Amino acid sequence: MRINSFLIFVTLLLTQQSAAASGIDAKGIIRDAIDHFRGLTSYSEMTMTIHRPDWERSMSMNAWSSGSKKTLVRVTAPPRDAGNATLVLDDNKVWSYAPKINRVIRIPSSMMSQSWMGSDFSNKDISRTDEIVEQYDHTLLRTDDIEGHKVYIIESIPHEEAAIVWGKEISHVRDDYVELEHHFLDQDMQTVKILKTLDIQKKGGRMFAVHQRMNMLEKENEWTEISVQQLDFDREIPDYLFTQSNLRNPRE
Amino acid sequence: MTSTATTLAWRNIWRHPRRTILTIAAMVFADTLLVFMLGLQFGQYSMMIDNSLRIFTGQMQVQASGYHDEPHMYRSIPAADKLAQRIRKQTQLDAVSPRAYGFALISSDTRTIGAQVSGVDPHYEPRVSTIPGLVKQGRYLGGRMDNEIVVGSILARNLKISPGDELTLLGSGRDGSIAATVSPVVGIFESGSRDIDRQMLSMPIDTFREVFSMDDQAHSIIIGGDRDQADRIAAAAKAALQGNEDLLLLNWEALLPGLKQAIQADFTSAWFMYAVLIVLVAFGMLNTMLMSVLERTHEFGILLALGVRHGKLGRMIITESAVLALTGMLLGMLAGGLLTWYFLVNGFTYPGMEAMSERFNIPSVFHPEVSIRSLLPGPLAVFIATLLASLYPIWHMRKLRPIEALQAV
Repeated sequence: MRINSFLIFVTLLLTQQSAAASGIDAKGIIRDAIDHFRGLTSYSEMTMTIHRPDWERSMSMNAWSSGSKKTLVRVTAPPRDAGNATLVLDDNKVWSYAPKINRVIRIPSSMMSQSWMGSDFSNKDISRTDEIVEQYDHTLLRTDDIEGHKVYIIESIPHEEAAIVWGKEISHVRDDYVELEHHFLDQDMQTVKILKTLDIQKKGGRMFAVHQRMNMLEKENEWTEISVQQLDFDREIPDYLFTQSNLRNPRE
Repeated sequence: MTSTATTLAWRNIWRHPRRTILTIAAMVFADTLLVFMLGLQFGQYSMMIDNSLRIFTGQMQVQASGYHDEPHMYRSIPAADKLAQRIRKQTQLDAVSPRAYGFALISSDTRTIGAQVSGVDPHYEPRVSTIPGLVKQGRYLGGRMDNEIVVGSILARNLKISPGDELTLLGSGRDGSIAATVSPVVGIFESGSRDIDRQMLSMPIDTFREVFSMDDQAHSIIIGGDRDQADRIAAAAKAALQGNEDLLLLNWEALLPGLKQAIQADFTSAWFMYAVLIVLVAFGMLNTMLMSVLERTHEFGILLALGVRHGKLGRMIITESAVLALTGMLLGMLAGGLLTWYFLVNGFTYPGMEAMSERFNIPSVFHPEVSIRSLLPGPLAVFIATLLASLYPIWHMRKLRPIEALQAV
């Protein structure tokens, strides 16, 4: 009797703890969201639209990713920009290729927060590595219920010594790991820009944020949208794709 | 009535000629110093402003509204060359030059650095900026269409390049397209301003427009000319802008608010020192007047006993002060003015100015200013402070009663 009740007590304690652990594993959610976004490998075709008060411009591009660090983006249209490409090999290793001058340029790490190809995305944003998982501390702020889904609102604060320009980032991640919103806050904890998911569709065998908009705060008229037309996960992607020589002379 | 007071005052002043002359001399000295220092300061400021503006900024600039606060490439001036020509005509000034700015990654063989690229008109740029004349290696830009670059000296050092090397530029154009080019470096300039030398390179404006998809646009039209004529030039330039509500004419205060603030801060701190000087002189005057009142207690007693009113004695004392103060002020202004004038003609320099000239980008010889604003404020402040200082002896005198005053020694 005594042993029995002790066992029940222990069992209760253990189940409670594991429930608590799975409920507030903010870091796990962030990691899963990135894995969901990148897959083991991914291939996508998308359009980026940069909108400004007096003009708007669209570019088509193809993107390949492999693992959690490697990304290659190649512009396919309009003809003026076609062939421009960006290669990301690590958190801070970004190269840019411009066919017009036939040069590969390494983007210095001091330029990582600068605009990528004139858009509202920074060089950092497009690489979207798993840097955020290990370099930040994650806290679950709250859980919302939206249209039958649970949405985890997670605050990520970079480690003291991490070379990150943001004061913190806030992610809204749905329970199927689709990210609905991502807020970027500066060191004074003022929101600078917000990435919002405008459309979610089943693509490449999973629910995916196929249409996203990056908006500088307080500038309704200035934004950059990315919409994904084609998406394919976990297909074989050769490693030579992510090399500087392939950046300059594409083999695919 | 008044004449007796004045006569008495005049006689009292010369009762102790040495004391009077020393008091006046103290005022003259302070006034001379104030006039000279103010003249020096104003001269220095105007030199600082002129030299800062001459490097790159110009006396004023035409910009699209909003560009100065947030320099986005798309906030540009359409048909800028035609507008610049119209401004040249209206202002009858050749020193009008369009410029376009962009940001790009600059790559040499070994290094990549982000820097500002400016597209300039090689023909008109030398009239609004000193940079074309400060090329230390190689030469300045040639034609408007040439594909070539001049680089600031510190940037060149950081990129490890010299004239003849090639630089790769990668940025985004005005329409969001990718701007890229490879251009040879033809010259390296040293403007003296570390900021400019560290983060700027220039290329001919038409080449810039082609690379950055700018058509016939520019981001700024620089207007040079003499600062004395700024009002006339501004009015003429405004007339040329008629019909372009989206364009603004910015003066140097708007373009370089930091410079204006630095000058104001310096001026304020200088006035603390001047205030100390003025207070010291006022105390000297207080001392003189108080002594001359105290030593005359017996005399005042007699005058009061004869029925002279306190008011009349007060007028007498204030007249004495006023004569001293006025003499001091006029002589001080004259001496200060002459001293400043001498340096205005001959130029002024002092030890340590070499270092300052490097820091503030001013020549090591400059010319102080002689004007109402340098001549008047100091001496006037001393004059007023001196008159105020004579109020205490008067207040002291008003308490005198004839009997006690007569008994005083």
